[in-house]
Amino acid sequence: MLAGLAGEAGPYRRLLDELSGLLRGYYGRRCPPGVDAEDLVQETLIAVHTRRATYDAGQPFTAWAYAIARYKLIDALRRGRAHLRAPLEAADALFVPAGADAAMARRDLDRVMADLPARTRDLIRDVKIAGLSTREAAEKHGMSETAVKVAVHRGLKSLGGKYGGSPGDED
Amino acid sequence: MKTDELIQNLSGDLAPVAPGAAARRVALGLGGGAVVATAVMLAWLGLRPDLAQAVTTTMFWMKFGYAVATGLILAAVLIRLAKPAVPAGALAAFAGAPLAVVIVMALVRFANAPPETHRALLMGHSSSLCPWRILVIGLPLLVGAVWAVRGLAPTRLLLAGLAAGGAAGGLGAAIYAFACNETSAPFLAIWYTLGMALVAALGALGGSRLLRWR
Repeated sequence: MLAGLAGEAGPYRRLLDELSGLLRGYYGRRCPPGVDAEDLVQETLIAVHTRRATYDAGQPFTAWAYAIARYKLIDALRRGRAHLRAPLEAADALFVPAGADAAMARRDLDRVMADLPARTRDLIRDVKIAGLSTREAAEKHGMSETAVKVAVHRGLKSLGGKYGGSPGDED
Repeated sequence: MKTDELIQNLSGDLAPVAPGAAARRVALGLGGGAVVATAVMLAWLGLRPDLAQAVTTTMFWMKFGYAVATGLILAAVLIRLAKPAVPAGALAAFAGAPLAVVIVMALVRFANAPPETHRALLMGHSSSLCPWRILVIGLPLLVGAVWAVRGLAPTRLLLAGLAAGGAAGGLGAAIYAFACNETSAPFLAIWYTLGMALVAALGALGGSRLLRWR
């Protein structure tokens, strides 16, 4: 970019080439319906070019370019809303497939619970996620109902202590 | 057009950019605004009649200094906010420093004054006019700042609008200091600050619309 600011066309061209690849990835995942991702890529390249004076030497180039890309994305969303250009059915594409959220949540959950003792982890999974009753879980693990309740409670409490947001902490 | 051709065209049309071009544009916008604002002040209010004597007093320079320091710090913040992904928070934290100094001086002055003068210290003789005059004088500066920043690449529009308004308000108040003959620090702390805040609020309100660029 510094070479570009100095007016050297060769390095600048290579930079825009590389950037257009990055932008294609960026908009490919985020592009609103009814808008061509390649249009956004081009708009961003033009903005990067015409507003290159706002790039500070020493600033990470990608942070700067992505901030412009994000601005262009928001601008496109806002315009889409203003003109109601996108038909309602196309809005489906705005949402990630239903499974994606759940899969991500599950991955986070696995990571969060990894520190708990194995049995506590299984109990929390059975009672709080799979939806077994306390008695069913007690039978499954060969424990008393009270022991199940205590273990689940302790497990949740230790998670709450570690990650915040347990009901007791919110007052 | 294909993206490859676009890149070809863009890199074919490549003029060197001097460092500091963005800062110069903001300075140009605010400078042009200041010329118009000064003309408005002279035509509308005129210089204070005792200006020659006033420039020898601390109070005049405190008024001018407070306003111009706040305006310049916020102008520097504005330059950063006009650039994508350039942090401005550390600098913005300094914007309150001149106000803090003025508040301390106002409190000292107020505490040491006889109680029967308190009202005069707080209200002066132009408290109902001062903030509005600063608003009017600040408007050309705000227009200049908005023009400058629109041509750059602000991505935090509300904050950029707030900084544009604050810079315009501060510099506008500095220009107004040549017309205003109030002499109390408490007056300065309240009414000048309110005037600058009005321009800043206007900038923040207008910012998210006026600063949008394509």
